[in-house]
Amino acid sequence: MFAALVRNETLKVLRRKRFLIVVAIMLAILTLVSYAEYQQLKQARKTNWRAELQERIARTQNRLRRSNSNDQWIRSMRIEINRLQFYLDRDINPESPTAPLVVRTFASIAGILLLPLLMAILGSDIVSAENAEGTDKLLLTRPVRRWKILTAKLVTLWIFATLTLITGAMIAYAVTAPVLPAGGWDMPMFTGFTLDADAVKLDQIRQLPLWRDTIIAFGLEWYALLTVAAICLLLSVIFKSSAASIGTMLGFLIGGTLLTQIAPNWTAGKYLFVSGLPLPSYYTGRAMPYDGMSMSFCIILVGVWAIAALIGAYTLFTRRDVFG
Amino acid sequence: MTPALIASDLTKVIGTRTIVDSVSFELHPGEVFGFLGPNGAGKTTTIRMLVGLIKPTAGRVTICGHDLARDFENALRCVGCIVENPDLYRFMTGRENLEHFARMLGVHADEIERVAGLVNLEHRLEQRVGTYSLGMRQRLGIAQALLGSPRVLILDEPSNGLDPAGIRETRILLRMLAGEQGLSVFVSSHLLSEVELTCDRVAIIHRGRILKSGSVAELISSQRAMEIRVGDVGKATRVMGDRTFEIAGDRLLVPIEESDAPPLIAELARNGIEIFHARPHVQTLEEMFLEATGGETVD
Repeated sequence: MFAALVRNETLKVLRRKRFLIVVAIMLAILTLVSYAEYQQLKQARKTNWRAELQERIARTQNRLRRSNSNDQWIRSMRIEINRLQFYLDRDINPESPTAPLVVRTFASIAGILLLPLLMAILGSDIVSAENAEGTDKLLLTRPVRRWKILTAKLVTLWIFATLTLITGAMIAYAVTAPVLPAGGWDMPMFTGFTLDADAVKLDQIRQLPLWRDTIIAFGLEWYALLTVAAICLLLSVIFKSSAASIGTMLGFLIGGTLLTQIAPNWTAGKYLFVSGLPLPSYYTGRAMPYDGMSMSFCIILVGVWAIAALIGAYTLFTRRDVFG
Repeated sequence: MTPALIASDLTKVIGTRTIVDSVSFELHPGEVFGFLGPNGAGKTTTIRMLVGLIKPTAGRVTICGHDLARDFENALRCVGCIVENPDLYRFMTGRENLEHFARMLGVHADEIERVAGLVNLEHRLEQRVGTYSLGMRQRLGIAQALLGSPRVLILDEPSNGLDPAGIRETRILLRMLAGEQGLSVFVSSHLLSEVELTCDRVAIIHRGRILKSGSVAELISSQRAMEIRVGDVGKATRVMGDRTFEIAGDRLLVPIEESDAPPLIAELARNGIEIFHARPHVQTLEEMFLEATGGETVD
């Protein structure tokens, strides 16, 4: 029974061609990225990077041998040598892009604004469109409780959030693999940078193979998109027209992102959901816009916003009178 | 016979405005019930309360024995409806629309062929609803309302957008559903002549209150009179003496039975009054409606 409701909602999103638009936008952007990275790669091939890389490793090893400074510094030097040696062994220019790197970067960079925007296009009118088209009168006069209908819509948005991420990753790989080095999923990555008083804390650095790092980045973005979906649902319940609900959601996302850059001293801004949203880019070392923010703060913040949005959406949707 | 739908003292107050005021009626199996009222009379608000779109401030709706407020799912399982316009998903085909609502009801796919056949739409099901005419959407709306064989059919302006042939087809379909399958059909309409032809009983709503209700035949027979068109109204008035009658242009409206007409006509003729015609005058529902609502515009 519930699966039938989700099937209905999924069909409507597909028939409205919303997902097609989202895929087309991702395809266009990633094709452009692929072309730009390819140009960069051609540039990089002109230099004798192998000799440079060998020299860099030798230099670092020398410094390490002569040094008697603290453990942390030694540890970070070892990590650096490991990393450079990895590239040398596999004949990869560390400055040159690879297809797997583009995939991971897609999660962190697109997660800042693009993916939430795509989610807004997909879902901001999932309820308000029914209202605008008058179909809510038929949808809500069937022997199905309103909370079930809203849950089906929420689950549908979550399905499309997941599909958008998977499709985005597949497109990112598919358009870059033919022109960039396609392998290197086990390339060592360094995560755990935390910016504290302008200094990089090295004691939290961990080394992960790229594939695991990519999974973590996508997992964080998935979590962020589930929240975006919940907020989309709330706005689409509040507003009666598709344009109003999509417009408001885009305004929140773009306005909130601008605000963090324009007024970083307004510390209450850290409680905006937009401040906590770019989880994968924070994970890969992007500085958080406000003081007193941390990874766990962001994860909790985003979760609280999602729950608040859902409480609002369900309360309003199940209780209100449906006028013309 | 237990009523299929009971609306008792339905009231809706928004702010300080009472939009619907203690509206009560019953729908019986096998009857077509007409709901008439001018714009803003509270018709649509009443319909929306019947199907759970609006919560009544007071009063209750019982459908097939299930209280709508407490047992929403079972109550609405007995109802098929069109509220206001037959708005369906324009970006989907007729079949996809029917499948959509069939899935919500959990009814078998065979149902789609059956209901499409009832409204003669089986050959257009593969086209997108956006390409349908209003008449076709109206018929698709009725088809979706019939999914799952409901006991009660609630239709808001079902003849809207239909051509005369379509209106006649709809009337025949509704009479068939009520007569042969025992459905209770609730119809609101602005085509009074249509209601007169289609409905068994009528309620007239105005300013949120039901002004009159009763069987169509009853309401009409209570208004029976003889209409006599005469040459000289002034002279005829004198001949009529102290009989009760009304003057409408060059006609006299006399509230008497047909059997009492010949002596009166003979008397008028004896006094040299020209009589052009004499016939039973049946007040149409439209006239009755205008009289009841004080001549306000008919929706």
